[in-house]
Amino acid sequence: MKRYVGTIASTVCAGLLAFAPVVASAVSQPTPPPEMDAWLKAAKLGKYAESPQNWDEINRLALEEGEVVIYSSSSRIAKVAKTFSVEYPGIKVTSYDLGSVKSVEKTVREQDANLFNADIVTTGGSGQVVHELWAKNRLVNFVPDQFKDSIPLENREPVLVRILEALVFMYNTEAHPDAPAIKNIWEVTEAKWKGKVVLKDPLASLSNFMGIATIVQHADELAAAYKRHAGKDIVLHEGVPDAGYEFLYRFLHNDPVILKSGSKAAKASGKKGQKSPPLFFGPMTYYRYNGTKGYVNGLAVNLDPAAKVIYPTYMAIGRQAPHPNAAKVFVAYLLGSTDLKADSKLEQPYNKGESVKLLKGLAPYFDPGSKSPRDDAPFPAGGEVWADMKAWMTDPAFMFSEGPKVRDFWIQESGS
Amino acid sequence: MKSDLSFALHRIANHPERILTAMFVVVLAFLVINPLIEIIHDSLVYQSYDLAYFPDAKEGEFTLFHMTRVFTGRLSNSLFYRPFVNSLMIASGVTALSLFIGTILAWLLVRTDLHFRPAFTALAVVPYMMPSWILALAWLTLFKNDRVGGAEGMFTFFFGIQTPNWLAYGMFPIIICLALHYYAYAFLLMSGALMTVDSELEEAGAICGLSRFRRLAKITFPLLLPALGSAVVLTFIRILGTFGTPALLGLPVQFYTISTRIYASLNARNMGDGFVLALVLVVMAIIFIYVNSRILGVRKSFVTLTGKGFRQRPISLGAWRLPLTAVVALFMAVTVFMPLLILAWETFMLDPGDYSFENYTTHFWVGESDYELASGEEGIIHNDNILSSLWNSIKLAVSAAIFNGLLGILIGYAIVRGRGTKLSKLLEGMAFAPYIFPSIALGAIYLGMFSTDFGPIPALYGTFALLVVITTVKNLPFSSRTGIAAMLQIDKSLEETARVQGIGWFRRMWKIIIPMSTSGLMAGMLLTFITAMRELSLIILLVTPSTMVMTTVIFAYQEQDATQHANGVTLILILIIIFANILVRRLFGSSSIFGLRQT
Repeated sequence: MKRYVGTIASTVCAGLLAFAPVVASAVSQPTPPPEMDAWLKAAKLGKYAESPQNWDEINRLALEEGEVVIYSSSSRIAKVAKTFSVEYPGIKVTSYDLGSVKSVEKTVREQDANLFNADIVTTGGSGQVVHELWAKNRLVNFVPDQFKDSIPLENREPVLVRILEALVFMYNTEAHPDAPAIKNIWEVTEAKWKGKVVLKDPLASLSNFMGIATIVQHADELAAAYKRHAGKDIVLHEGVPDAGYEFLYRFLHNDPVILKSGSKAAKASGKKGQKSPPLFFGPMTYYRYNGTKGYVNGLAVNLDPAAKVIYPTYMAIGRQAPHPNAAKVFVAYLLGSTDLKADSKLEQPYNKGESVKLLKGLAPYFDPGSKSPRDDAPFPAGGEVWADMKAWMTDPAFMFSEGPKVRDFWIQESGS
Repeated sequence: MKSDLSFALHRIANHPERILTAMFVVVLAFLVINPLIEIIHDSLVYQSYDLAYFPDAKEGEFTLFHMTRVFTGRLSNSLFYRPFVNSLMIASGVTALSLFIGTILAWLLVRTDLHFRPAFTALAVVPYMMPSWILALAWLTLFKNDRVGGAEGMFTFFFGIQTPNWLAYGMFPIIICLALHYYAYAFLLMSGALMTVDSELEEAGAICGLSRFRRLAKITFPLLLPALGSAVVLTFIRILGTFGTPALLGLPVQFYTISTRIYASLNARNMGDGFVLALVLVVMAIIFIYVNSRILGVRKSFVTLTGKGFRQRPISLGAWRLPLTAVVALFMAVTVFMPLLILAWETFMLDPGDYSFENYTTHFWVGESDYELASGEEGIIHNDNILSSLWNSIKLAVSAAIFNGLLGILIGYAIVRGRGTKLSKLLEGMAFAPYIFPSIALGAIYLGMFSTDFGPIPALYGTFALLVVITTVKNLPFSSRTGIAAMLQIDKSLEETARVQGIGWFRRMWKIIIPMSTSGLMAGMLLTFITAMRELSLIILLVTPSTMVMTTVIFAYQEQDATQHANGVTLILILIIIFANILVRRLFGSSSIFGLRQT
């Protein structure tokens, strides 16, 4: 009962928050300890941030520092490093491609041991980044002035978003040429798709898990969608608190196929020439394989009650970072050029020529399924559909306080 | 009083192994026991993750939350009990099967007149040189059905029928694939033991009128029993902790093991659950080792390498010679050449899984960066990252191998010469302990332990030295076992002869012990080299971009779905290992490849 109330409460909150501009949820950063405070002062960060930022000074100091160290959940950061070093030959980029879990783990373990190596930490996992890193003074948020107007508040507070990505359902368009294979999310809990939904193990993938948890979070909307689909009110199984968990319960008892790799899952649904291909749940970024690997995945664009769950990958400056100014320069680089506009003409390959001058650090991430946190950045070819798909946002507070319970529910109801 | 002291000193000086033992116990207490205490500690306090259930609790406060959760809570069934049963069944199945394969193969290759024995002996350990998940991938290529979608498996492609789930995923294929990888332990141990069984012992039995079967049961088998016991222990415990294959083949049918549950817990940064489950493995391993040592008990050691004569006569297979050669050849083709071939083949395919002719390319090996392909990654031979990681891997593996070789011999010496004392038992246990830690947990704990100065030990974090330290520690169980085995076979009388002549300890070690154990030493070093080359989860938290090794590069390619690059680098990795193996055999002509013998 208690859990039920909690879930309802957070659902309602999340619902309200979706309409009101989000101002840093309940979490806040504690007062920094003296050594961190001294560093903040020297680096002009946190409460010592200058307004306006003096970018001539920052660039000069960055060159003096000569290096920037990045902990990243994304392997594509190495590609950013390549183009960055062309523009800033004086700054050496050292990037650690760690994956989301290890980026957090390494940051926490090092800082606990008084080692401050990371200048920038860029990773996903809302609950952990906001609550375990930022709210514990392990990260400092930094937003370049030139982007303050173009990045909506929820994408820069409490921690700046580097890129937004979405979790979606995809289906094989060869097997379902006329219309999306599913229209209502409850269909995946029915006999037709028994043993026919493929996804990367959410217990091993933070992003997929955020998708699952965010669906569970929207219990009321799921209940309403159920009624639209089945024409009657949903009946919960015994011990299941709400329609959110009921969805997960039925989904798990419909024998989903768990894989170790997300790209294999995208191949499972998207490979041509299959007799009865499964559905895919996971990052929309695999949609790009239609172009590069000849898959025939289609997006369930009009899925009721929502067609995508948006999850952020954050970037922030590490506590007591040894190269804070180089970090600021790199953060700005990752957001793209200020000349980039919604109608900018961009051509493949994005990491060359005029395109890379506009996109800068966005170039490697400029594909369907990703979106810049800036609202003045264009969509890549094929990615325009993003705007048409109804979205749920992942909520760091829910992820932190309820995530473990959703995860436990998953463990409890799965496994043979 | 004074004479007491000098007498005591004299006694100690007469027992150099005690000094060694004491030294090793202290060092290992820091390197091995300390992490164990950390694991126990972390499983008994609140972690950041638990605050969802206890918003008022403080991180680091004592709690039995994880214990009750894992063992009695509503989750216990799917978090612990069912995976536990699965783990036990897999470990038993793999142990039985790999013992069967390994023993028969060892007997055929050591004691009979089978054709091409040298070649087969070299090939028999190749599956162990490949990352274990390669067989799992090959299995999926062959037998997967439409449950995981994508391209059809070959079986379905050729016969047009869907394979049943039990054949494609879950317990059955996991056991087969793991057994085909880990039979190497049984094979090495058993061939080592078989090699030292003097035919004269069997002939003596024959002269006494024992039938062939009774000779086998009364003479050969008891001599092999210790090796068999070691093989059981090594295989069983190793399988309990293995992750890659159960994840690949188990997940699609929601078949979990303790190790996949640990991995998932650590991945969610739920250290508490992960470490409680890890402790289960530790306790299991301890019980298993204990029971094993009780069963084998006093029989544990047989001295077979003495200064006396030794002779072995191959057994004639008669009419079975050809058919059995064919069977072994087929076995090698399936376990060695097929996976390598699939791997190599796929590096030339533009789109993995499409076997048509126009789909072939050399781009992934020699191509320049091309946006349309592999996200613009250069071909393998142009790729600076791959080349520098290759060099790092070799550096790491060679240094770990040298340290392990030396430590193995010294620890082996200390244990064997002090056999029967409590201290010796303690050291033996401690040297074996790293075997039972989940690698990723050990890496995480070392990160914390070595990130600041600790007494005389400098902060090694971020250095290459730390990678060498952790790799050496993780491989200590093998090298100490090899060391023990080598020492057990050297009769004490050889060293005593030298002592009577007044030859000091260092000279005895240098002139007698080390030369006599060269084969064992090289074997242990080679084994460490192989394992170090393949190590990933142990060091992934500790590597830096400048210390990237091949496995971390492979891992990154797999994450990016750059199959061809990942396969290409894996292939290079395997070839380096095989090449090193051939080199060592050429240089040292060790008749036993790894000399992993009974202890």
